[in-house]
This record gives sequence, structure tokens and C-alpha cells, in this order.
Amino acid sequence: MNYAVLTQRDNTNLHWRIFCECAQDRNVIFYYEGYFSQTIIAAVSDAVKMRTEQVGAANTTRRKLFSSFIEMTQNIIHYSVDAYVTQDNRQFNNEVRHGSICISTQAGRFYLHCANPVNAAVAHQLQQKLEHLRSLTIDDIKREYKRTLRSETPDDSKGAGLGLLTVARDASAPLEFEFTPIENSDHMLFYLKATI
Amino acid sequence: MNNLYIAPTASSPEIDLRFDARHFLIKGEAYPENAALFWGEVINSIRRFAEEDASVETLTVDVVLTYFNSSSTKMLFSFFDILNEKAAGDTPVVLNWYHDEEDDTIYEFGQELCEDFPDLTFHDHALQG
Repeated sequence: MNYAVLTQRDNTNLHWRIFCECAQDRNVIFYYEGYFSQTIIAAVSDAVKMRTEQVGAANTTRRKLFSSFIEMTQNIIHYSVDAYVTQDNRQFNNEVRHGSICISTQAGRFYLHCANPVNAAVAHQLQQKLEHLRSLTIDDIKREYKRTLRSETPDDSKGAGLGLLTVARDASAPLEFEFTPIENSDHMLFYLKATI
Repeated sequence: MNNLYIAPTASSPEIDLRFDARHFLIKGEAYPENAALFWGEVINSIRRFAEEDASVETLTVDVVLTYFNSSSTKMLFSFFDILNEKAAGDTPVVLNWYHDEEDDTIYEFGQELCEDFPDLTFHDHALQG
């Protein structure tokens, strides 16, 4: 591949083809990047349900994918630092936030990837929570899930403190994550991957 | 006390609390944007009813949820906690817990409820397909 051609402005078709081939090579079955709101999540949910059915995922797998999809996208709405702001302040909506979600598949396994920018404090909390979850066996995770279900909701949680535990419970391998510094910003890009 | 009906949306279930008929229904998918707000209304209604109701006639709850997110899970626990207290008194409470036969997550959550709220008369219903 001669990458020099990519810099030419009249090669938009080629750019598009490379983008599609890249998605195909990585077996991407679903990708959305942009603002998330509750309405968008509900609409995109429909697309995810149809797509996972179309590619022939087993019912149990589809349910787990859907569950993790909801937890991840609602986390974006709650914790992404990139909130949508319109020109009109009265229209400011703190519950519309930016992030991305991707579903890919390989050798019968499905992978959910999500990413969104977070502030340093949230990054620190997430890192601690996720490192802890990675140290647990699936039986430990189930026990912790039951314990958290019956305990008071932590102050720093906008849900029930059960979101990541739910994703970990449905995953067939430890959750993978990464924090990447964002240039000219104190924020970090949070990336999370679940294997279903 | 007035019945409470909430129509289903794409991300919240149908709620049909018929206090006069002593029958409650929760049906659909539950991943509301603000679980505390959505379930708060339901939980407050059931709590008020539980306090005011003096009858010992059986209360029946049909739960036909196909999905609920993590924050709704916790709210459901609070909902059944109130009904369990009612059942620990003199009012029998029957919980019909419906789920797809292949859905282990919802089946297992039903078992959790059954363990934690022993005063409820729990019936598990596995639905085909």
C-alpha cells in the first residue's frame, strides 16, 4: 500500500474503502461513535439486538452482549467528561455525553469495546475498581455481586455500584482496560474491553 | 388508594399496580435513564399502600421482565423488601416470576429474591422461546 496516495484530497473513495476493509479485517459487527443520550441508547439497542441475531450469536450470548452494552453506554452518559452543550444554555443537557462503543467477533467469541474521556479523579477510581475486579475469580465476582446488591449504594455511584460487576459477571475473561493521557488536557481516555 | 399505571417505553417497563384488585404487574425491559427516579414512584406507591392496607386478602405480583440493568436490579430488591414485610404480617403475597427458560441471569435473580424474602410465596415460571 502506498500511503502517499492517502494524503491526496481526491482519494475519498479510497479512504472509505480502507476504513471498511479495516473494520472487516477486525470483524467489527457494530460501531458507534458520537453523543450518547438515553434516547440514542434505546435506538442503538435495537440495532445491536438485530445485528447480534443476524451474525448468529447464541441467545445467551446475545443477552450478555446486550446487558454489557447497556451498562457500558449508560456509564458513558454518567461519567464521560465530554458533555454536549448547545448554543442555548437553557438547552444544556448534562446527560448527553460523548464516547464510542464497538462490538467485534473472532473465533466464536464476542468483544465489546468502549471508550470515553474521564477526569483524573474518576480515572483513579475506575482503575482501582477494575484492578480489583481483575484479581477476582468468577465465583468471587458472583459473591461480590450478591454482597453489593444488598449493601448501601456508594456516594460516588450514579447507578448502584453494580455496573462494572455486572459486566465482569457476564464476561468470560477478565475485563481489560487502559487509560491514555489526552493531549493538552488533564483528562484521560478510558478504554474498556469485555470478552463475552 | 388510586391505582398506578405507567405505560411502557423503549427503556422502561409497563407498571400496572391495581391496588383495588390486589394485583400488580411489571412487564418489559428496564433500563431507565434514572433508575432511582423511575422506580422511586413505584416503590413509594407500594410503600404507601402497604402502610394503609388493612386487608389480609392475598396480593399477587406478576413480574415478566426480559431485561433489567444494574441500577434497576437494586430497586427491585427494595420493591420486594416492602412486599416481604407485608407478607411477614398477615397478608399472603404471591410472586410469579417469569423468565425465558434459557435466561439464567433472570432465573438466578429470582432465586436470590426467594432466599432473601422467605415470606413471599415464590413461583418460578420458565417460558419457552
